[in-house]
Amino acid sequence: MKKFITLCCACAAMLMLLTAPVASAKELSGKLEIFSWWAGDEGPALQALIDQYKAANPKVEVVNATVTGGSGVNAKAVLKTRMLGGEPPDSFQVHAGQELIGTWVKADRMEDLTFLFKEQGWEKVFPAGLVKQIGTDKGIWSVPVNIHRSNVVWYVPENLKKWGIAAPASWDEFFAAAEVLKAKGIVPLALAENWTINHLWESVALSAIGVENWEALWSGKLAFDSQAGVKAWQLFGKVLEYTNKDAASLSWQQATDMVVDGRAAFNIMGDWAAGYMTTTKKLVPGKDFGWAASPGTGGKFMFLADSFGLPKGAPNRDNVIAWLTLLGSREGSDAFNPLKGSISARTDSDLTKYNVYGQSAAADFSKDLIVGSLAHGVSANEGFMNDFASVMEMFLKSRDAMAAAKAAQQIAVKNGIGK
Amino acid sequence: MRNHDRIKALCTLSPSIILIGIFVYGFIGNTFWISLTDWGGVASLAENPVKNFTGFGNYTELFAGFLGGSFRQDLVNAVYYSVSLLAGAIGIGLFLAVLLDNKPVGEAFFRTVFLYPMSLSFIVTGTIWRWMLSPQGGVNILPTYVGLDPLQFRWLSSTEAVMEFDWQNLLQIALYILAAVLIIWGLWQVKQQPRRAMSRLLVPGVVLGGGAWLGGDILPKALFMEEMHGFNLATLGIIMATVWQYSGYTMALYLAGFTGISQDLRDAAMLDGASSASYYRHIALPMVKPITISAVIILSHISLKMFDLIFAMTGPDNGSTGHPALNMYLTTFRANEFSRGAAIAIILFLIAATFIIPYLISSYRQRRIR
Amino acid sequence: MAQVELSKVSKQFGATKVVRGIDLKIEDNEFIVLVGPSGCGKSTVLRMIAGLESVSSGEIRIGDRPVNQVAPKDRNVAMVFQNYALYPHMSVYENMAFSLKMAKESRDEIERKVREAAEILELTPYLDRKPAALSGGQRQRVAMGRAIVRSPSVFLFDEPLSNLDAQLRTQMRMELKKLHLKMNTTTIYVTHDQIEAMTLADRIVILKDGEIQQVGTPIEVFERPVNRFVAGFIGNPPINMLSATISGAGPGTMLAMGSLHLPIPPQPACHDGQRVLAGIRPDAIEIGSRLVGLRTDWHVQAEVVLAEILGGHSLLEFTVGDISMIAELEGRIIARPGEKVALGFDLDRLLLFDPQSGLALR
Repeated sequence: MKKFITLCCACAAMLMLLTAPVASAKELSGKLEIFSWWAGDEGPALQALIDQYKAANPKVEVVNATVTGGSGVNAKAVLKTRMLGGEPPDSFQVHAGQELIGTWVKADRMEDLTFLFKEQGWEKVFPAGLVKQIGTDKGIWSVPVNIHRSNVVWYVPENLKKWGIAAPASWDEFFAAAEVLKAKGIVPLALAENWTINHLWESVALSAIGVENWEALWSGKLAFDSQAGVKAWQLFGKVLEYTNKDAASLSWQQATDMVVDGRAAFNIMGDWAAGYMTTTKKLVPGKDFGWAASPGTGGKFMFLADSFGLPKGAPNRDNVIAWLTLLGSREGSDAFNPLKGSISARTDSDLTKYNVYGQSAAADFSKDLIVGSLAHGVSANEGFMNDFASVMEMFLKSRDAMAAAKAAQQIAVKNGIGK
Repeated sequence: MRNHDRIKALCTLSPSIILIGIFVYGFIGNTFWISLTDWGGVASLAENPVKNFTGFGNYTELFAGFLGGSFRQDLVNAVYYSVSLLAGAIGIGLFLAVLLDNKPVGEAFFRTVFLYPMSLSFIVTGTIWRWMLSPQGGVNILPTYVGLDPLQFRWLSSTEAVMEFDWQNLLQIALYILAAVLIIWGLWQVKQQPRRAMSRLLVPGVVLGGGAWLGGDILPKALFMEEMHGFNLATLGIIMATVWQYSGYTMALYLAGFTGISQDLRDAAMLDGASSASYYRHIALPMVKPITISAVIILSHISLKMFDLIFAMTGPDNGSTGHPALNMYLTTFRANEFSRGAAIAIILFLIAATFIIPYLISSYRQRRIR
Repeated sequence: MAQVELSKVSKQFGATKVVRGIDLKIEDNEFIVLVGPSGCGKSTVLRMIAGLESVSSGEIRIGDRPVNQVAPKDRNVAMVFQNYALYPHMSVYENMAFSLKMAKESRDEIERKVREAAEILELTPYLDRKPAALSGGQRQRVAMGRAIVRSPSVFLFDEPLSNLDAQLRTQMRMELKKLHLKMNTTTIYVTHDQIEAMTLADRIVILKDGEIQQVGTPIEVFERPVNRFVAGFIGNPPINMLSATISGAGPGTMLAMGSLHLPIPPQPACHDGQRVLAGIRPDAIEIGSRLVGLRTDWHVQAEVVLAEILGGHSLLEFTVGDISMIAELEGRIIARPGEKVALGFDLDRLLLFDPQSGLALR
């Protein structure tokens, strides 16, 4: 069976090489500097990609420039200084969507990759919703390497059975279940440090206002202090009532632990939680832990993605194009994603390489409505993200939905959301 | 001959003067210039970003703007944080130094033990204390070892605040503080120079305080809306960690100072009837005053620049434990608001200057007297 | 206003015995000088009296009170330190007022006492100065002022003049003596300078290796030292100490020092043929007109080695036969090396010591 798969892959690779004669026709040489923050657990996944690249382009010296720090806090600052200093790396990791567009595309530092997408036929294999999020009317700006889902609720099926509740499909169901849990002294929804609160907000807001409004919000067509916007904050405020009080001092892993240990019933977290529970906690997906779309977001896939782009003035442009081609390819993404614990952005990935959760996520990805995550840089630019943290802080203190909605609108205007 | 020496001195010094001129003062100047522009937002990272002069717009926005709230809270945090750090680290450091100055058994061992935290990086300290202060572990379960209930205090995530005040009334509060300082100083001086104390300190203090109290309503408001800021209890955890790290350092400073005082002086004080406590209060402490001053300056700088410890303990977006330095970094490198970040940097620079410049002036004067 | 009594006082630092069982009774108002070479334990004795060192064994009494367990501040003693130990951050006034402030005296009382002391010590113009702005002598006076404001029952001085230059030292020494005459307070004074000891003391206590060698008035210890050490330590220039042999007895007793044979007064403590150490003070040697009062058989012909004129008197190094000595002579002696001069020994002041035990033979 394994041999067969390998054979299939090899065949597929051969096919790809044949269909992409331009990239391979030239013998590439020189350097390729890849700038990313994948140093820790993600290191091997990146290395797998680099190995493939080296095999195809033996004469290219790959410089793996990683700057450590979760979510790229430090890497982004280093990248910005390098770009301002006129010394861009050949290709750099960036969260797909507005984090790339708002910062780098608007500043006219990126090359349009539409030609590559056309050449490689990616417009057909990447979901249209995704392509829309990583592009603007002027072009497509990066190649997504992976897809994570943000709107997932995690639980332990056995515990739910014990407590006599089911995974809630809507927030009303959740509130009903939460009362039962509260009576038993169990935290209904485990929450962790500040960014996970933003993470929760986007799931709640999506369910409160729906996909259309969500997108209208980011295209500037719907005001944050509109009725829908206020509704999102109101619902969010209510949900917060059912979370643990010590959230701010917990890491997201500790919040997940609360669910695993049975101290809490649910946790809304991105699907890297699946990786944590499978790899670190040695739990079996689907048996020891279960998942569903977060309440009220069934059929919606809120994604975030890491991607690589081509900065203007990249010293080794041809080498970068070959790199991006590899990233978008089926074998490239299928080599990377099972190791990273994410799924491929392609709808035609080889599902046998993924675990149970990955397969389920991939299935949803190909059929659900795809929307961008706020907390992870898809929907809004970095300026908004930064200010949103202050708005959230304000809301946590005052719990005033109206004021928060108004403040959110202010920062949206200030940061030019939808422009 | 003297001229010759001067030329030589100038030649030797000029490389460092030029380098410091460019890389310290030039860059401070550049930062100040940037803070007066609108460099930020969309396209701020373009190859040749547009920078329009906007005067003190960034500063007004920070101090009186709607979105400057987090900065203002950070500033208040930094003040409370600095004051607590100074009190804690100097108080405990001094206490430890006094204990060790009396040469207990194992003095050298304890000295190393107390100094050790100093050698750790802030990231390590932050991580250790984050664990120690986690709600269900560490410090909170200490009482259970003696059969008590565990503590429930949320060291790093408490949202409670004490000593709250409305930023609107900033001017009034500043006047109160000034009045209080004048009155306390006056009371202190009244024994020695009654007339001067009355006319220059007490009367103006009372007038100022009374005026601020009565005329509070007509004083200009510092902000268009009510905005409460206070000492966030979540900062306690950070303060504990920093005090833990730095009391050993102040201890070492003081111990060095105490050791430098001749034994005869101590003997003389004992014969003069000073108890151990009054020896430290009247003789040793005044003699190590320069050390106290350096400790205050060093610690206040550290507290103003504090970044990594807070980052490691409560992460970037924790408003209750925020700090202007953290805010500066996020504003600059996350939100791409370079000019706003520069304005925060300049504000921090000025605050630091208010500590160091009086010190420099006084030490310069003392040197001239000698 | 107090006697100080030490009985069998000893002090050990670890295994080292610094003070070995001292017995000493100091009378009220007496000026006692403890003198001895460095390391003799004199400072330790003083610090034990002050209470700055504990007593290993024995008892110290001040007044009638045993003070072994009494804290320094409660012993009512004041001490002046060698390096003055002034508080550098306090003005002269504050330095002197500190002990009174610690004793919680009233502001007016402190002011009165400090002013009074400053007046005595001529420090009034300097009251607002910091010690750093004072000369050595002024600092010394502040240190004394700090001691006298408290009107203690015992003054302790630990080599107070050794940091001053020679001239100032002489001047301060006299001031000290006058001060003592005025204040009339029991004073214990430690020095290694035998001139200070001779000039200041009512009684001198000579210490060596933690033991008392002799206690006596300056004249006693000078003229009748109990042993060779005391004889050598007291007196400047030092005593001429020569190996000698006694012959004969009674009126015919002779002293042989090398080739020099001199008749000496009867020595009841010596016997014929006894080997001794003969001590002759430099000032017991005379020249010129002063020879007249001396027995002629004490006159000798000496050869000058070196003559030094010290103002009103002179030092003369000379040889007689195969022995060499130093004489301290009245007047200005002008003599070239090698010149022959007539000198005379005042052998009534001859000191004889046992060469083995070093004890005086008399």
